[in-house]
Amino acid sequence: MFKKFISLEWKQFKRSANFSKSLIVKIFMGIGVLYFMSIAVAMGFGMFFGLKESFPDSDPWVIVNNFIIFWFLGELVFRYLIQKMPVLTIKPLLILPFTKKSIIHYGLGKSIISIFNFLLFFILLPFSIILMVKGYSIINVLAWFFGMLAISYTLNFTTFLVNKNDKYFYSILSIIVILIGLEYYDIFKISTVAGNAFNFLSTHFYAIIIPIATLVTSYFLSYKHLAKNLNLDDLEEKKKEVKTTDLSWLNRFGEVAPFLKNDLKLIWRNVRPKKTVFSAAVFLFYALYFLMMKKSGMSGHTMMAFAMMFVTGGFAMTFGQFVPSWDSEYYQLLMSQNIRYKTYLDSKWYLMGFAVIISFVLATPYIYFGWEIYALLVAGAFFNLGINSYLVLFGGSLLRMPIKLNEKAKAFGNTQGFKMSQILIALPKMFLPIILFAVPNYFWGFNAGILTIIGLSVIGILLKNFFLTKIENIYQKNKYRTIEAYNEK
Amino acid sequence: MIKTTNLSKKYGKVTVLNIETLEIPKGQSFGLVGNNGAGKTTYFNLLLDLIRPSTGNIVNNGVQVNTSEDWKPFTAAFIDESFLIGYLTAEEYFYFIGELRGKSKADVDTFVAQFEEIFNGEILNKKKYLRDLSKGNQKKAGIVAALIGEPEVVILDEPFANLDPTTQFRLKKMLKELTDNKNVTVLISSHDLLHVTEVCERIVVLEKGNVIKDIKTSPETLKELEAHFAL
Repeated sequence: MFKKFISLEWKQFKRSANFSKSLIVKIFMGIGVLYFMSIAVAMGFGMFFGLKESFPDSDPWVIVNNFIIFWFLGELVFRYLIQKMPVLTIKPLLILPFTKKSIIHYGLGKSIISIFNFLLFFILLPFSIILMVKGYSIINVLAWFFGMLAISYTLNFTTFLVNKNDKYFYSILSIIVILIGLEYYDIFKISTVAGNAFNFLSTHFYAIIIPIATLVTSYFLSYKHLAKNLNLDDLEEKKKEVKTTDLSWLNRFGEVAPFLKNDLKLIWRNVRPKKTVFSAAVFLFYALYFLMMKKSGMSGHTMMAFAMMFVTGGFAMTFGQFVPSWDSEYYQLLMSQNIRYKTYLDSKWYLMGFAVIISFVLATPYIYFGWEIYALLVAGAFFNLGINSYLVLFGGSLLRMPIKLNEKAKAFGNTQGFKMSQILIALPKMFLPIILFAVPNYFWGFNAGILTIIGLSVIGILLKNFFLTKIENIYQKNKYRTIEAYNEK
Repeated sequence: MIKTTNLSKKYGKVTVLNIETLEIPKGQSFGLVGNNGAGKTTYFNLLLDLIRPSTGNIVNNGVQVNTSEDWKPFTAAFIDESFLIGYLTAEEYFYFIGELRGKSKADVDTFVAQFEEIFNGEILNKKKYLRDLSKGNQKKAGIVAALIGEPEVVILDEPFANLDPTTQFRLKKMLKELTDNKNVTVLISSHDLLHVTEVCERIVVLEKGNVIKDIKTSPETLKELEAHFAL
């Protein structure tokens, strides 16, 4: 039975669109995987020696234990966003002579083979080996190593239990944010509590029984949860009654109105764009991280310019870079209808424009950090409107990657779109604002930098038709290839 | 009129479509039949400029399809579910298509109301997204949407497939009324010989990409086709 599952899996892997691409892509994929693995291993090595160097009086193991709680918390959030439920591939097996038991065990087991579970493994393995070599008690190290893995896998299974429940996610997220805040301001250090617990494990190997217990419990609970829900009408989402949304207030925008209306509905009615836009909202806070670094004197104006661009650019970057891929499921409809590509592109541009304006307004509190930061914010907003928007749409037109609106994105599954052109586009997107600011800043000062960005962006806005027509030509030229690419399942 | 000249489509070494010449006059109801892989959908895809011809071209009412977009305002089609926008409700989808063809919401409402019988109460006001409708209902919505805005050319790929018997009859009736209008050229592909002989005044049989029969429909046509396919 188990062998049959494995053989199915292997065939699926070998025949997937990604895998059957050219040899070069496979080599790149392989290199990519090795690269990440080696980073993880390097981290593992580095952790010990690095910590030893920075804190020569403390035990690196203790330090790791003190802070690993944050890794786990982060994992929880990340897993929720990206981890897929195993039930998706179970549907065709339900009517075949596999027992439900074996299907569920297989599904749960399969979920272990995922990048998150390997990541921690590769980081901790070298670390543990070093520990053992350096003379720490072997049995303690082993117990600790497996204990940490057990906790990680517990999180794996826990994610299934709360996956469908958004409320859980937000409450956990808020708890995490509160904990981090309390920690930062030294009010309540969760790291101490957790640290003590993990340090206990590393000195008393029998404590491994606790993580193992949580692992078994979570596995068992997930099993029960899935067993209950393995019927087709449970697997499929409950079809709620939906309201026909009337967005006719958008009609004032004329020709682009039908597309604007559709795009708004696309975003809030489909899982993937919704999550993308949600993550874009996080960008609002991106600059805070840089500002905190600034307090410790680590970044200059140029870095801040870079950061402030992200604040208003979140939507443009996360949504815009996949235009027109968002529409891939009905691209054939769009291509054969009386739609002028120019109008289509116009509507996307306006949409991004609104997002920039809205996030700009929401970012007003940044004024707290001084008028210089605010000026950078203004410049960043202009940049996103007048320059970045075109870059992003340009990149999207070359991407040709189909998107299933209701499937969660795979963490590393997008190697199909891994094209040189993508990398080439990404570079100017990153460096252009820096260059545009840094050069005048260097020669003529801060104000010059700001004015340059704003000035060029205004020109960009005025030349909208010119740039969008250029992008339209790309759409036209690549029409057949795009349709073909989108039709690939 | 739709004029096809020297049209062929090859994938690698395999020629999937090869039509030297085919003229479809305005207002004709044109049926395309053939076994699977005969090239019916390929022909429609070429007509809608969704794939690139290997040789030749199609001219739709004076507009060469793969060099200009001017055929789009008067051509409508429903090929498969990739012509539906799954996250819209049926009404929203109709309004969207209507907007693209210059029809107001009221116009669309009036137009769509005449299909009440065909919809059987399962499409309008159901508060469901198109992606949550059954395949047959999705098709109904798609076909009706294709007719919004009085297009001059209507292309339907296997419209009878997946429809329940009652709907098939109603659709047939509706298509016959549509084809009576000599301003509209209707192209239908189908596996259903009975329906296609009842709706279309001309039938072309494709086999492995080639036209092997081109008949004006008469009472004997059904027998002729059945004899042909029974081989």
